[in-house]
Amino acid sequence: MEVRAFSKSYDKNPVLQFPAFSFEKGSVYAVIGANGSGKSTFARILAGVLPGDQKSSPFVSACKVGYMPQKSYGFRMSVEKNILLGGKDRQRAQALMEKLDITHLASRRADRLSGGETARMALVRTLMRGYDLVLLDEPTAAMDIASAALAEDCILDYQRENGGVTLIVTHSLKQARRLGDQVLFFHQGNLLEWGPSAQVLEQPEQEETRRFLEFYGA
Amino acid sequence: MQTAIQKAIALILSGDRELCNILLVTAKMSLSSSFIALCIGVPIGIWLGSGRFPGRGILVVLNRTLMGMPPVVCGLLFYMLFSGVGPFRKLRLLFTVKIMILAQVCLITPLVVGNMETYVSGIAGSVRETAKGLGLGAAKTFLLLANESLYEIFSVYLLAFARAIAEVGAVSMVGGAIAWKTNVMTTAIMQYTNRGNFSLGIALGIILMTVSLMVNVVITLLQRRFR
Repeated sequence: MEVRAFSKSYDKNPVLQFPAFSFEKGSVYAVIGANGSGKSTFARILAGVLPGDQKSSPFVSACKVGYMPQKSYGFRMSVEKNILLGGKDRQRAQALMEKLDITHLASRRADRLSGGETARMALVRTLMRGYDLVLLDEPTAAMDIASAALAEDCILDYQRENGGVTLIVTHSLKQARRLGDQVLFFHQGNLLEWGPSAQVLEQPEQEETRRFLEFYGA
Repeated sequence: MQTAIQKAIALILSGDRELCNILLVTAKMSLSSSFIALCIGVPIGIWLGSGRFPGRGILVVLNRTLMGMPPVVCGLLFYMLFSGVGPFRKLRLLFTVKIMILAQVCLITPLVVGNMETYVSGIAGSVRETAKGLGLGAAKTFLLLANESLYEIFSVYLLAFARAIAEVGAVSMVGGAIAWKTNVMTTAIMQYTNRGNFSLGIALGIILMTVSLMVNVVITLLQRRFR
């Protein structure tokens, strides 16, 4: 899956420079980096929710893209109806709700859920359809450990069934190791290092990557 | 004051035909104009609040300017358009309830647009991003935004109705406050006060406030139900 080079600036201050890149189908990419390194901006531009500096969007070659924003949003309707916005397959919705243990919330109003419950609902909603590229921006940040483990299993199952490209923005290096076949490391708005997760996380080539991993306790 | 309240109660109980007519015209005018303004203003407000297009800022400023339009200026504009020398004279709408409704729609719609725009711009980012992430189209996103704004829509309707029922400048200019035809509560209060009949003016004022209270109670109950 080919991605064209793009950049993003705010008031002429560049915040992201991304080179032309090729994603391998069937792989999970973990996107890591410090706060403000451009991870979420990268995901939002790829998802098409934020325009890049270049006019020629989308930047991903023709494919279906799904995206779960960093701040999960529950629409003012039941959890079940929220989930069905992602896709009409009720059986799939039921199976995913069971996997993420939110079946008991089905009839509850989504805008009245807790942060963790909203995140679980939003993940189910995003995984309702088979996308060629699915971007999950810190999908488990608001979840407790048990829910995060269920969510990770769910993401891996989705990846196995779907076979597309999954991109997960995360602050957890453990999660990057557990889920990511490949790791992309962002530093000050640039894709500084990328490659198989074992290589980037265990034997980074760049000094900044090494410092980041030391600081975050890899 | 006590006399005025007694007079108001006596007026209502007497079933005075002129008072009933005034009440009917007032209800027809203010309910219609506020409802029409809501139907026009809500979609425009949502569009303006959620849109990202060149010129949006200019439209917002323009609307905010119109929100402060003095009713007499609006009345004058409609008077000129529909009077014997105006371009719409053949419609013969001057001094009718229809033109009073039209003038009020012109006054109230910017208020509806402005309030909806302010509210929607606060939620539009999250809604649009989530909807786009799910591959939902513009129409579905618009409907989701309207659904998210339901509580606000009721609040905006109350504001629109309050403005309509309390307005006097524009309706007196284009309606002429003709007895049995275009006289509404506010213009009737002005007439009675000008004639020195203060107690009747106060009595009508009390009735006006009561009608406003009743509509507010009904809308607030509906609002709670849809919260």
